Amino acid sequence: MRRSFQWTLILGVLLALTLGVAACGGDDGDDGEQGTTQGTPAEGKKGGKLTALWTDDVDNIDCGISYYQMGFQVCAATQKALYGYEPEDAVNAVPDLAEAAPEISEDGKTVTVKIRTGIKFSPPVDREVTSADVKYAIERGFFNTVNNGYAGAYFGDLVGAKVGAKPGTEISGIETPDDQTIVFNLSKGTGGVVAGALALPLSAPVPKEYAEKFDAENPSTYGQNQVSTGPYMIENDASGKAVGYQAGRRIHLVRNPNWVADGDFRPAYVDEIDMPQGNDDTTVASRKILDGEAMINGDFSPDPAILKQVVSRQKEQLVLQPNGGGRWVAMNTTIKPFDDPDVRRAVVAGFDREAMRLTRGGELIGDIPTHYIPPEVPGFEEAGGLEGPGIDFMSNPAGDAALSAEYFKKAGYASGKYEGSESILMVGTSEGVAEKAALVAKENFEKMGFKINLKLVTQDAMYTKFCNSPPAKVVICPNVGWLKDFSDAQTYLDPTFNGDNILQTGNSNWSQLDDPELNKKMNDAKLVTDPQERADAWAEIDKDITNLAPAINWVWDKTPLIRSENVNAQASAFLGQWDLAFTSLK
Amino acid sequence: MSTGAGASDLLHAEDSGLDQMVRGEQAVAARSPLQLFWRRFRRDKVAMVALGFIVFLIFVAIFAGPISRLFGAPAPNVQQTAALDDFGLPEGPSSEHLFGVDPIGRDVFARVLYGAQVSLTVAFIGTGLSVLFGVILGTVAAYYRRWVDTIIARALDVMLAFPVLLLGLGLATACSGEDGCVGGLIQPGLSVVIAIIVLANTPYVARIIRGQVLSLREKEFVEASRSLGASNRRIMFRDILPNLVAPIIVYATLFIPANILLEAALSFLGVGVQPPRASWGDMLSDAVSIFDVAWWFMFFPGMALLLTVLAFNLVGDGLQDALNPKSTRSN
Repeated sequence: MRRSFQWTLILGVLLALTLGVAACGGDDGDDGEQGTTQGTPAEGKKGGKLTALWTDDVDNIDCGISYYQMGFQVCAATQKALYGYEPEDAVNAVPDLAEAAPEISEDGKTVTVKIRTGIKFSPPVDREVTSADVKYAIERGFFNTVNNGYAGAYFGDLVGAKVGAKPGTEISGIETPDDQTIVFNLSKGTGGVVAGALALPLSAPVPKEYAEKFDAENPSTYGQNQVSTGPYMIENDASGKAVGYQAGRRIHLVRNPNWVADGDFRPAYVDEIDMPQGNDDTTVASRKILDGEAMINGDFSPDPAILKQVVSRQKEQLVLQPNGGGRWVAMNTTIKPFDDPDVRRAVVAGFDREAMRLTRGGELIGDIPTHYIPPEVPGFEEAGGLEGPGIDFMSNPAGDAALSAEYFKKAGYASGKYEGSESILMVGTSEGVAEKAALVAKENFEKMGFKINLKLVTQDAMYTKFCNSPPAKVVICPNVGWLKDFSDAQTYLDPTFNGDNILQTGNSNWSQLDDPELNKKMNDAKLVTDPQERADAWAEIDKDITNLAPAINWVWDKTPLIRSENVNAQASAFLGQWDLAFTSLK
Repeated sequence: MSTGAGASDLLHAEDSGLDQMVRGEQAVAARSPLQLFWRRFRRDKVAMVALGFIVFLIFVAIFAGPISRLFGAPAPNVQQTAALDDFGLPEGPSSEHLFGVDPIGRDVFARVLYGAQVSLTVAFIGTGLSVLFGVILGTVAAYYRRWVDTIIARALDVMLAFPVLLLGLGLATACSGEDGCVGGLIQPGLSVVIAIIVLANTPYVARIIRGQVLSLREKEFVEASRSLGASNRRIMFRDILPNLVAPIIVYATLFIPANILLEAALSFLGVGVQPPRASWGDMLSDAVSIFDVAWWFMFFPGMALLLTVLAFNLVGDGLQDALNPKSTRSN
């Protein structure tokens, strides 16, 4: 019992999380008419308490640190980042704290944003937000006490920015000519991606005079004492201590008294949001939600048995939300025999990816990829859409033994199967559906003649000790995956397949694909600022990656979200989760 | 302690004491103790049925492959996605899959059969090794007394004080690294389970044996042997040990089911037999989460485990009665 439930829980969290994570959440803003979302009635009922069941905690309650879908979900309700996303549009960010779209200079080296007036911090800070607060928010992402996980990747080209800086270090590249203007000066022309990253919670303003003392501690305790700018805030006491957050037990959001509804794109219907954690038995938790005892699911996904029940009996209580993520079985391209692209192509061709998908619930949980960029991310259509670019070995989801044999022959194995006898190390996750996937993967490799030494460890160890660590020399990682950070293909392909991003620890280029030509193409594409050109450039890169077959890409995820009958819940395409600020009670 | 000769009363020396004297059956002097024992055991119908089941189980474990083929079942690790529905949920018992399939499409019938191999291997090897070490330690400690006894007995007390399951979890985790532990002797999987069983059982066996030997070493036949100049080793293993056969057999039989359960528990907790190898405990643990939609996945391995443990317990009781006719169930 314990094991099974535990895993599901860890899945909920870690999958998304460790996988890469981050769908971020934005809040955003602009003037708002609340009715832009179609799924919910334009006018939801105001008031009431929303209950979301969680199994585990967020990675960090600090919106400047969190790099996890669920953390982003909370931040989307509590903070105003510069930009955010309407629930149904994960591609076009709308201004939130910002007043209008960012201005990117011709050379892509300067990004200018105007921010809105009249936005106030929640108590106890109670003052108006200025551009300096956004500057500090981004600066603190580089502090060694904060260590934001994506600051370096997206804001690293800011003039004077250095990851791991001492608390208090300013970044000369961020200028604030007046209280409403912020200018980002970059050393390279990466303005396109910087502008996109301004929809991540890191850009939510932080009051320096208040946060300084917390950021001086290591690790920073600002998260436990945070102030909000969004419609909600974590319940706090007079001194600002976030008493509504009890790690591993509960997150409790209440209305932010200083929030100005006028001009915010979020309707923020409910008065209070309660997120009790520790609901380890996800079957029970799912039932509670479906039966109306709780309202929406938080960080876990209902398991296949529940899905089946919902689909057959309570279909309207289920939303399958594409989350801009995918899962794959990574083959280490630096280790024989997977250094040979034809062996990898043979494996992809012969792999039964439908069996992999069945481990998580079958067709419901997503399409089987024909290339890499997932649906809802710019470049997806350009790269061939669902149909794909027509690469033969990616075309048969159930596996094509004949084609696989052909590629094996091309690689020099006359029998049409792998002929080596060495034992190949595969490290998978010992928990729940991930374990099932690992076992299915092992079986598939063995079918093609490989001798697999499968080692099952916890999800956490699988990543930190093995798959994220090239010195561990793991050959196959069957349980890895990635979620976009925001709607830009770079955030999906660059960390995972760019050879320049291979790290000795914390690596997420699990295939260790290091193709100089490909790396160069990616580094060039980062400098493209025009959205359509970016999409085209990354689609082209996507084709090259697909053709190199570094991994067996077996699902473009949809997150199954369930709700009770007494809520009008709204899913956010950007978060791949429910959008708390758009959900109302019936 | 009792003064009667022979094995049977010694069996209960620890708990029943002086009144357990052997008489009656001794009148038929022409029969060997083994024959006597067998005559008595045969009369116990329940134990005989249980013994029959164990023999059957051993047969099944040895011939798991041919038997599952005979019933048209695929090999235990073959995944048949055709036996899963659109949601990836397994199908129940059918003519094709007698016991249904598990959530990745493996045949439960074949896996239950192969699971018997694991259970029995663990049970016999684990128990055998515990008995071997326990007998040696217990005999040596009791025979030499003094400091040897002090060291061994105290060490055993310490081992007894360990919470077995926690120790097992810790050991399994420690040994699940790349190279196992104890210089690679203990690898993750079966050998970890066996090591845990040996650690858990040895002290019990050793304590019992020590108690028996303490009384036996004062007996006349031991003194006779000593006066004839026999070596210590000869006295311990040729004179004393044969008198311990009966208790050893009975305790071993009673340890076996406990060990099968321990293996199942460890596999259930995920630190026992490594997937994809079939183990009843591991199957049960996987089955918990989908019990309401796939009862067969829990029922069959559960029944197999239940019946096996029950059978060993009944045989154990039968043996105990047969070796000690004056105990509770004598007639």
